[in-house]
Amino acid sequence: MSDERFASTVTTTCGYCGVGCRLEAHVRDDRVASISPALDGPANEGHTCLKGRFAHQFSRRRDRLATPLIRDARGGELRRASWEEALERIASELGRIRAAHGPDAIAGLASSRATNEDCYAMQRLMRAAIGTNNIDNCSRVCHSPTSYALRRSLGLSGATGSFADFDHADATILIGANPTEGHPVVGARIKQATLRGMKLVTIDPRRIELADYGVLHLAPRPGTNAAIMLGIAHVLERDGFVNRAFIDERTDGWDAFAELLPAYAPEAVARIAAVPAADLERAAHVYGEAADACISWGLGVTEHKYGSEVAQLICDVALMTGKIGRPGSALLPLRGQNNVQGSSDMGALPDTYTAYRSVTDEAVARSFEDAWGVPLSRREGWTIPQMFDAAVAGELRAMYIFGEDVAQTDPNTAHVVHAMESLDFLVVQEIFENETTKYADVILPASSFLEKGGTFTNAERRVQLVAPAIDPPGEARTDFEIIALVSRALGHELPWATPADAMDEIAVLTPDWAGISHARLGRRGLQWPVAPDGTDAPILYEREFSRPGGRAHFAALPYKAPGDAADEQFPLILVTGRRLQHYNAGTMTRRTGNVELMDADVLEIHPDDAARLWISNGDRISVRSRVGRIELPAQVTDHIEPGHVFTTFHFPETRTNLLIGASADVNTSCPEYKVVAVDVRPLGEEPARTPALASGT
Amino acid sequence: MSAPPLTVTVTVDGAPVEVPAGATVLDAARAAGSWVPTLCFDERQAPFGACRACLVGVEGAAAPLPACTTPCRDGMVIDTEDPAGRRVAHAVVELVLSELPQPPAAHTELAQVAQRLGVGAPRWPGETHAPAPADTRHPYLAFQHELCISCGRCVRACDEVQGTFALTATGRGFDANIAAGLDEGFRDSACVACGACADSCPTDAITEVSLLALTSAADATNGGPA
Repeated sequence: MSDERFASTVTTTCGYCGVGCRLEAHVRDDRVASISPALDGPANEGHTCLKGRFAHQFSRRRDRLATPLIRDARGGELRRASWEEALERIASELGRIRAAHGPDAIAGLASSRATNEDCYAMQRLMRAAIGTNNIDNCSRVCHSPTSYALRRSLGLSGATGSFADFDHADATILIGANPTEGHPVVGARIKQATLRGMKLVTIDPRRIELADYGVLHLAPRPGTNAAIMLGIAHVLERDGFVNRAFIDERTDGWDAFAELLPAYAPEAVARIAAVPAADLERAAHVYGEAADACISWGLGVTEHKYGSEVAQLICDVALMTGKIGRPGSALLPLRGQNNVQGSSDMGALPDTYTAYRSVTDEAVARSFEDAWGVPLSRREGWTIPQMFDAAVAGELRAMYIFGEDVAQTDPNTAHVVHAMESLDFLVVQEIFENETTKYADVILPASSFLEKGGTFTNAERRVQLVAPAIDPPGEARTDFEIIALVSRALGHELPWATPADAMDEIAVLTPDWAGISHARLGRRGLQWPVAPDGTDAPILYEREFSRPGGRAHFAALPYKAPGDAADEQFPLILVTGRRLQHYNAGTMTRRTGNVELMDADVLEIHPDDAARLWISNGDRISVRSRVGRIELPAQVTDHIEPGHVFTTFHFPETRTNLLIGASADVNTSCPEYKVVAVDVRPLGEEPARTPALASGT
Repeated sequence: MSAPPLTVTVTVDGAPVEVPAGATVLDAARAAGSWVPTLCFDERQAPFGACRACLVGVEGAAAPLPACTTPCRDGMVIDTEDPAGRRVAHAVVELVLSELPQPPAAHTELAQVAQRLGVGAPRWPGETHAPAPADTRHPYLAFQHELCISCGRCVRACDEVQGTFALTATGRGFDANIAAGLDEGFRDSACVACGACADSCPTDAITEVSLLALTSAADATNGGPA
């Protein structure tokens, strides 16, 4: 249908969250005039949200980075530079540091906001052009525990089904996720499923919107998810919901897991998690009695000290009931960013090449050496938090960061800033100046998702085409072009003319991606693993698991207390998260009309706590943790339990992540953003004058 | 658990078409590539059957039937260009247009349906929706109440696609319209600004604020719709 208002319309994939909505971007006068949902988008089915549909004006904002910028001395002023000068500076500095300190003194970050091809190019640059496995991406700080757990328990690092499984499920447990704000189109889909009769159990310290559409809401103490899942498993076992045939035929490790369960009777879990025993029993029954049921989770599961263990316990619950590997029975982690799945799939990780194959695997490493024509390191690199530690310790001298504002979004901001300041040389590739570019020696102007081609992989493992609707502004270039330029300047030519060529190399070197090519993806994409003939996999594990012997593994993991706990000095527990109107650091959404709908971070606090602390709605208050302090307005609401407070990290003026300490997931070093003991009080009241009160829980 | 998919075969404009059991006559017509005018239909929503623009002839039926709500029966013979059905559709669209103070913009579904049916300027001048300035209090979503044809698509988009239930039909006769919440506007209602209503609206009664200027500019270059 032609539309006289627009010069052109391009079908692409949304660059905000991991739902992967297919969008029609309508262009006029070289800017995006409007965005509408593609009716045939498999994940969004003709729907999209406030961010995907409307928050696109950032792309033509005047403060977009449009030329390379250079600082002649650390801490000096930025000045405009040509691409030649910027690339020359990068090549000479990185060359000097590599010669003096070795390749492992340099680290790179790929971006979960960027395409698969960008991330693949970046990890090849770090591995082949620099010679180090010091490459990571921001999935480290969100869903690395999910990835770890799914691989350990089931085999593959991805959702076992698709969002369509919500349409076929009789029940769903939603834990540690707030999809109507974080993943609005999936939130709408879950809501519609409940209106058709799907029984929804929500588990979250906050009374999220979907709780009103469910049959039951559990509000556990932050950090006690493991006890909740073990309690549900206890009741499932006690009340006869165990699928013995499935366990015998398709799993191992059941006995060790079953031995744990007697300790997690509902009454015991009630004491740990502050959830009524009867509710726990009912939750288990809703799940157990359903013919088909899904479990879906978000960062409320992963961003904990034992997040990767809780994700494994979620797998255990699905395995013990056999609710996996068929329509309507799926494990559906809600991956955060648009390409958090793909950036990790692409090997932008310090320990793995594409599709999670270890850098220490000789055969895999050789296949990449043969393809790239250079020797490759067998030594695992640093994760993001380890990079910051190494920078402060003087072992890491240079970083090349693209598409991640670590100084705003990573935990323990003061430490991150110290790390940035400790580096000899920092390259940042970005679309706007941000907190991290303040420490950059070279800033490379990059492209947003509306200006580039390639693919994103959504939370259903669906690889979908991204197509440029408009050109990058000024002298900005696509990330794919920039990484190729930097790699060439470093002496390693990336041999691809287009992102499609890079995908062809990925397909050759990655068995699970063998059947993927841009030509084949079409309008609906393909869900990996994709066989050479192009057959994809909407449902995993229909017959066997992708582990040795084809059997899934029960992880026998007891509940352990979180890394932080409320005490006399810090009596409230802070949980951080996201709101509908903004996206993570807000770099994009704060430059759109969305700020008219929400223009500041606020601290949600229960009326009882607020009254006790003499805090009224809208008061500016002080929030202090063991590592930092911020000020922001209070929002008094009973959507949160007494003893807990909640805020977001969308606005740099708030700097919420100053509050987050170094506690992290024991297996993946994903930070514990979700459990921080804090002291909250009206602004100006000194701690000595207002002794902290014990929390109400 | 689910039974194997069953299909039925119908004839649309002389050609046989196989469709899944439960498909509507409109589904079959679209599968056959035949055009059926619609105003209140949106494939993302349950059929509503309100506007009567989609009347088609069905062999053996006493009168034309609404394609969007009539299920296919095996062996059904459908004529999408049934003269009686088309006469009704023409009259429906003409009546709808006659209530608007200005013709709908060329890109809108209503304008396109009218053009394809050959409906020109309505023969019934007289009372229309009262012209009113666009309500642009929301950063993205604009109301142009005068263009509302009460098809209910925005309300159903909010209910059935998004699930926010922020919109409601209000008023009667020439006052019939749409309200966000208790008519406090999008911004102060429960609206989550997903835009599903604007996406479904066939007249731009709900549209994007930033498109308002483009629409008038584009219409001016086209000399405006007839």
